[in-house]
Amino acid sequence: MAEYSWEAQSPLRKAFAPGRLGLASGDAGIAMTEISDFNLVQVMARRGQVAAVAKAAKKAWGVLPPEKPGAAVGKGVTLIWTGPDQFFVLSAGNEPDPVPSLAALFEGTASFSDQSGGRCLIRLSGARVREALAKVSSIDLHDTVFPVGAAAATSIDHTGVNLWRGPDAANGSPVYSLLVFTSFADSLWHTLADAAAEYGVEAARTPLS
Amino acid sequence: MSRTSQISGDAAPLAFNEKPVADARPPRFVSAGTQSHRLSSGGQIDRKQPLGFTFDGKKMVGFAGDTLTSALVANGVKLIGRSFKYHRPRGILTAGAEEPNALVELRSGARREPNTRATTAELYDGLAAQSQNRWPSLRHDVMAVNSLFSPIFVAGFYYKTFMWPAKLWEKLYEPAIRRAAGLGKASGEADPDHYEKAWAHCDVLVVGSGPAGLAAALAAGRAGARVILAEEDNRLGGRLLSENGEIDGKPAAAWLADAQREIAGLANIRIMTRTAVFGVYDGGTYGALERVNDHVAVPPAHQPRQRLWRIVARRAIVAAGAIERPLVFPGNDRPGVMMASAVRSYINRFAAMPGRQVALFTNNDDGWRTAEAVQRAGASVAAVVDSRGVVPEAYRGLNLRQLGGVVSEVKGGVDGVRSIVVRDAAGRTQQIETDCLAMSGGWNPNVALSSFQRGRPIWRDDIAAFVPGQCPAGMVMVGAASGDFSLAACLREGHAAGTVAAKDCGAKGKAGEEPQGDDEGFAIKPLWHVEGGKAFVDFQHDVTASDVKLAQREGFESVEHLKRYTTLGMATDQGKLSNVNGLALMAEATGRDIADTGTTIYRPPYAPVAIGALAGHHRDENFHAWRLTPSHHWAAARGAVFVDTGLWKRAQWYPIAGEKDWLESVTREVRAVRSGVGFCDVSTLGKVDVRGPDAGTFLDRLYINTFSNLAVGKARYGLMLREDGLVYDDGTTSRLAEDHYFLTTTTAKAGPAMQHLEYCRQVLWPDLDVQLTSVTDQWAQFSIAGPNTRDLLKNLCDPAEDLSNEGFPFMGVREVSLRGGMRARLYRISFSGEMAFEIGVPARYGEAMAENLMRAGAEFGVTPYGTEALGVMRIEKGHVAGPELSGTTTADDLGLGKMMSKKKDYIGRAMAGREALVAPDRQVVVGIKPVNKTNRLRSGAHIIPKGAAPGPDTDQGYLTSVCYSPMLGHWIALALVERGRERHGEIVRAYDPLRGEDMEVEIASPVFYDPEGGRQRG
Repeated sequence: MAEYSWEAQSPLRKAFAPGRLGLASGDAGIAMTEISDFNLVQVMARRGQVAAVAKAAKKAWGVLPPEKPGAAVGKGVTLIWTGPDQFFVLSAGNEPDPVPSLAALFEGTASFSDQSGGRCLIRLSGARVREALAKVSSIDLHDTVFPVGAAAATSIDHTGVNLWRGPDAANGSPVYSLLVFTSFADSLWHTLADAAAEYGVEAARTPLS
Repeated sequence: MSRTSQISGDAAPLAFNEKPVADARPPRFVSAGTQSHRLSSGGQIDRKQPLGFTFDGKKMVGFAGDTLTSALVANGVKLIGRSFKYHRPRGILTAGAEEPNALVELRSGARREPNTRATTAELYDGLAAQSQNRWPSLRHDVMAVNSLFSPIFVAGFYYKTFMWPAKLWEKLYEPAIRRAAGLGKASGEADPDHYEKAWAHCDVLVVGSGPAGLAAALAAGRAGARVILAEEDNRLGGRLLSENGEIDGKPAAAWLADAQREIAGLANIRIMTRTAVFGVYDGGTYGALERVNDHVAVPPAHQPRQRLWRIVARRAIVAAGAIERPLVFPGNDRPGVMMASAVRSYINRFAAMPGRQVALFTNNDDGWRTAEAVQRAGASVAAVVDSRGVVPEAYRGLNLRQLGGVVSEVKGGVDGVRSIVVRDAAGRTQQIETDCLAMSGGWNPNVALSSFQRGRPIWRDDIAAFVPGQCPAGMVMVGAASGDFSLAACLREGHAAGTVAAKDCGAKGKAGEEPQGDDEGFAIKPLWHVEGGKAFVDFQHDVTASDVKLAQREGFESVEHLKRYTTLGMATDQGKLSNVNGLALMAEATGRDIADTGTTIYRPPYAPVAIGALAGHHRDENFHAWRLTPSHHWAAARGAVFVDTGLWKRAQWYPIAGEKDWLESVTREVRAVRSGVGFCDVSTLGKVDVRGPDAGTFLDRLYINTFSNLAVGKARYGLMLREDGLVYDDGTTSRLAEDHYFLTTTTAKAGPAMQHLEYCRQVLWPDLDVQLTSVTDQWAQFSIAGPNTRDLLKNLCDPAEDLSNEGFPFMGVREVSLRGGMRARLYRISFSGEMAFEIGVPARYGEAMAENLMRAGAEFGVTPYGTEALGVMRIEKGHVAGPELSGTTTADDLGLGKMMSKKKDYIGRAMAGREALVAPDRQVVVGIKPVNKTNRLRSGAHIIPKGAAPGPDTDQGYLTSVCYSPMLGHWIALALVERGRERHGEIVRAYDPLRGEDMEVEIASPVFYDPEGGRQRG
């Protein structure tokens, strides 16, 4: 009997190459990182259950789900607004099916949909990150408009993207996360790399921590 | 220095025939090298940085800080190009973006760029420019003979002359005219540079960085607003770079330096130089073009040549200045005739002297400044001709030869002006030697941005110009752009507008002191036309004053008709210099005033924008985004040929060595599936999780058939209609749990169907407790088909899984365990008509699934197949797809009328009952076979009854989907044919006028293969 193995593949497996892209001299203006090994579940409150869902989330993770575009960091999770009465739960790991354990927390007040395989997570930071993102995103990323914790469900290069700003990097640079549909990931990675090329790009891959 | 001046009764009358005045100061030309007309000092050029360049191959030298035209002026070059129609010699008219004459081809090879305004081309070392629209050379252009025939080449010439015979237009007239006219030529090669687009956001956008723009940016910036200061030029300053004056008691240049320092220190002000704001759009969005690397020969690696900005601004302050207006007099297009303000720019900003003996022709006070500038530079002023016959008070101290009257003739040729003829009111003339004639007809406020949303400019008699009318929301015009020309007014209005705009945006800081500047007066008495010879209104398009009058005589009196009949204002400069003169002449000819004559509609872009910049990143392989299936790289490694299906790249077929064409590969794949087993990545189908207690009710309303009664663990084919009763989309939907359905759509409709579902959920039936998520990208889904499918699955699945007909019946669905530790969803559904399953795993395991399917099917010769084989098998089975779901068919047309439930309501039900939609003679889906089995069918061919003449009256339908059927051994088709179901067996014709084919075909059942369906249930 033949041996069957199941190796997970990143949608960026061809597009991604670690190391320097674009401008080769000086410090890289952009750090572009594929974040792997995450569980991502969409939680959608059932009719009349928004408050119950918020309460359950608070109990489980110590944080309320954002009621408007935003990203809230709780115990072991980031909750990202995706629309009215719905949000993503992003957590580290590689569960084959992350829904049952989540569903247990919400006791029938919500519907769930596993998106762990449906999205690719790309993180951008660096001194020139806003300039690079300005080439692909219509969102105003100025500190006063898009502070840490801000999020948007937006469109980049004709595909839907969930964009949010996490805590700043150690060097003070803002850090933006992009969740993109898996099938678009290869295309978007190229587009982002092209947009950032003139500033120099350091590409990396790391598991979600 | 205050220089108030008025034309009044006691103004000194100008003497006519006055003796020339000796120059007070010696000229200060540098005669070193090629720069015969370069001043020895002054200007904002770096004499330590010489830059070599060529014009028509001739080597010359300029300095850093030069434009191509300032360098040409410094090198004594007068002749730059030839005009569009008459091929008249032309020189440099302006020093700005409005230049109509000095157009050149810049660069060479693939980077060759025709019709570049040399005034806006920054000089760089090695720049190569060529003149255009001349043959064999600029000095000796044979097409200049056109000018001799100018009485023939009047406005409307083409329309009148080449009317008949019409068929010669395309073949003869148009090519000949295009050769004779037209300007530069494109390289014809792909542009090697790249372009990009970007967004910017601010509270206050300031357009223009002259005194008004700087004052506005400083005020808004100091107050704390987020400011973008956009300047078309490569440095800030606007007219301050070209004029002398005082601000806050300092020379303007010193104030400018201080202002720049302060702006640079304010982090909330973003300076965008080389950036022209060209349009205003809804919601305070402004289009701008940044010429990032036009000033270098080749852009640095990874940098774009140009960048197209969409600037979103809460407020905009437009300080775009004004453009000096030419005077319309005989010979006004000779090389060496130049705008008076341009002469000042070349002298003051670039230290380049357009002439050694400059004459001036003006109808307003401002023109006199040029006489002052020429004298200060040490050149001589041949004469000042003021049509008003007065000397403005502020200039009475100048030691000048001053004449009242008009310039009635300009003598000279390709080497420029040699002399002018001045005519006084009594008709007396005299000739004056000069090598440069500066002219000033007044100033036109740059109202373009205020007018792009149909704001109509307002005529002001006192300045003889149009000023902005109703501005788009959030925009104000200030300074010269609003018709207030004095330095003091520019600073005052800019400061006030910046202060207000910042406050409107919630900025709390202090705007600081208003800068104080000279309050020069401005007086003008319009002079619209000097009679006596060919006087140009639109220089580039060779529209003369007599053309305007001809248009009026022939009934083209409206300014919009005038524009189109004469092409006035349709050149690359878009009428920046010519429009007001043209409509003033029209007003004169029709006896109306200028306000009543009005302006043409203003439309963006204000300045030329390259198509490449509008395309940005989206060209070649980046023309659009692409979507890859989970097994894409696996398929690519096997040599699959991909086809673009929307944004998706799908494996179309998998050629193997020795196959001579696609048909051979596809036929092999079909046979392999029908005789053994094959698989195909079908992840592109739209997939939607429908969850919640009301999911079944939701689907009942969405589909024509019922889903609430579908058992958990079963799948069902469903059909959706549009509200108008026509078919929208189809697909199988499975019930995975009481409150969980898994719905699929076609690939093409995945996006629109999801929007439709969300619309139904959120807008039509918000009362339903149902939640939707697109899971198209979550699942890698493969169709496994063929008689050995079950055998393959037995190898793949955990041995405990029961895959027998009883344990896993047709249309059954459940989760299964796979060998190697993987859970998968298995659906027993068939599109090919074979025993088939679809299997789904999370997308990240798609590639592993493809490999494991190969492993599990190895002993059965498993064959991956592409979309072509998939299509062939569905046509053989008579399954409808995109070509039949065309937006014109009903459920019954597709043979699916029986699915329409009569027990419930659903979208489209009422409208599906309309008379025309249930008419008995509708075109319905049938199969088509060629009578001669060697004939190839063509999709799109029309169905015509035997013996009938093809035509709209006899057209009974068309072939929708065509393939070669490996199982039948001949071509087959699906078609939509009138009353087709009653006509199985009838012989008709497939008529294809596009390909010149006409053949007999037989109408048949659409199910060509295994009509009993035994294979898929087996």
